[in-house]
Amino acid sequence: MTFLELQNVRKIFPNGVVALQDVSLRVERGEFLAIIGLSGSGKSTLLRCINRLIEPSSGRILFEGVDVTHIRGEQLRQYRRRIGMIFQQFNIIERRTVLENVLVGALGRVSIWRSLVGAFPMEVVEEALHNLEIVGLADKATERVRMLSGGQKQRVAIARALMQRPEALLADEPVASLDPATSHSVMRYLEEINRQLGVTVICSLHFLSLVRRYARRVVALRAGSIVFEGAPAEITEEWFRYIYGDEAQEVEIR
Amino acid sequence: MSRRWQSVLLDFGIGLYGAVLLYRIVWVHMVQDGEAPPVTPPELGFYAVAGLIVVGLGLYLRCTLGAWIRWRQELKQWQRICALHWGLTLLVLTIWAGWVITKVSPLDLLSAEGLRSAGRLFGALLSPEFSILDKALAAMVQTIYIALMATLFGLPPAVVLGFLAARNIMRGHPLTFAFYAFLRVLINFTRSVEPLIWAVVFSVWVGIGPFAGMLAMTVHTVAALTKLYSEQVESIDSGLVEAVESTGAHPVQVVWFGVVPQVVLPFLAFTIYRWDTNVRMATVIGVVGGGGIGTLLMQYQGLARWHEVGLIVLVIAAVVWIMDYLSARLREAIA
Repeated sequence: MTFLELQNVRKIFPNGVVALQDVSLRVERGEFLAIIGLSGSGKSTLLRCINRLIEPSSGRILFEGVDVTHIRGEQLRQYRRRIGMIFQQFNIIERRTVLENVLVGALGRVSIWRSLVGAFPMEVVEEALHNLEIVGLADKATERVRMLSGGQKQRVAIARALMQRPEALLADEPVASLDPATSHSVMRYLEEINRQLGVTVICSLHFLSLVRRYARRVVALRAGSIVFEGAPAEITEEWFRYIYGDEAQEVEIR
Repeated sequence: MSRRWQSVLLDFGIGLYGAVLLYRIVWVHMVQDGEAPPVTPPELGFYAVAGLIVVGLGLYLRCTLGAWIRWRQELKQWQRICALHWGLTLLVLTIWAGWVITKVSPLDLLSAEGLRSAGRLFGALLSPEFSILDKALAAMVQTIYIALMATLFGLPPAVVLGFLAARNIMRGHPLTFAFYAFLRVLINFTRSVEPLIWAVVFSVWVGIGPFAGMLAMTVHTVAALTKLYSEQVESIDSGLVEAVESTGAHPVQVVWFGVVPQVVLPFLAFTIYRWDTNVRMATVIGVVGGGGIGTLLMQYQGLARWHEVGLIVLVIAAVVWIMDYLSARLREAIA
């Protein structure tokens, strides 16, 4: 059974913008899939359809063979718990501590009142500290997030996602606001999570050099449609021009 | 509404308004120097015709303000200058009308007798009577507490309503959105009724005194804070909300972890600012019987004891200044 399957997914926003048209895609368990394309080509919408932050206008999304296209309420929350997500802008609580932020990832399995008063069970807190260790921030647990660097913030977000014990991790341009060296550090953590924990990673990226270095498979979007699917090495000069337009020039990030 | 209808409506309004001013103020009031007669149907017809004439001018000669907002750059030089003169004429007529209507009279302002009385009064105000200082301070304390209680009582409902009156929180479902729309109307109505009028309402309800004043300000505080809070909630970064949603958290948890951390400090700042505003407002409300220093002020003013009034004004000014300063400092500290 395919791990994740999108069948003819279309998304038209209320303002009439067609973000995705007829996207079909299969993702196998344990893959490291990169999604590339210009800004506005539909990468973010595609990722948000997968964990159903966005509901597709038509088409189907199957997760382990189960149709999740239009689920709602508790069913939707249960589904979201199985998929972690990290963002370009990190989206963590600046004024709280690192640990408090990581615990947010466990909200799905902690009772509402416990989470509201901040009384997380001991084993959850221990798991959070363990996940901080995985991303190399064990010594920062009690520090306020706003004191951290961009790369560290993204690692906090990764630790938060790990709290969901996710089967898949969606990454929406995770390194787009980081400098090259930090980008590699964050990407290596994603690689490690993919290889050692067996988490399927679906990651949108700007830089082809990062795609070649980390992804095993690439999907390219152009104006809401998939125009390329294959191994990173197969993206030739011609494909590059087709995906990014004639004006584009490849920039290397080392 | 399309640009075209806006321009036609504007021209019609200008013609009508200009005709009313010319006839009522310039002709009846200034030339005939009489009391304004009741409005008659022919007069209304005359106004409407004037409006239509300006609309016609705008459409055919394109030399009115309406034409200007509709065609802007396409207009010729003389048409633009003409439109500008419409504006200037209206401005002059309006100021003239305002002068007549508010009965502005420099003679009264500068009359010898008036100046003497004012001088006496200012003299008395400037030599305040310090023997009633304890009485004034006690009344001031009451005023400050009226303001404080109104703020504290208004706070909890305003926090809840602040979320319920925020578009981004309520738009998920038609039912919640309908409630949001209803709440918006209610809050805007409540806010548009001045606390002074609420004080009148409550003094009939619970009797004249500090309690009525406090209730009046509580109502107004709820409305004002709800508006400020909800705007803050509406302006949050949706990224954090998305992140918490993506963990599979319950909507209550999404609000608590995704929205609340972003609004706590602004809420606090608004609340402090509100207390400060309420102290000033409580003084005024006291004047209509809401208790505190305002009521004391009214009593002495009624007795024409201006030295005592001078002291009360002094106390009010000092306290308002201190509150202003403290609230600004506090808000700075948490920002």
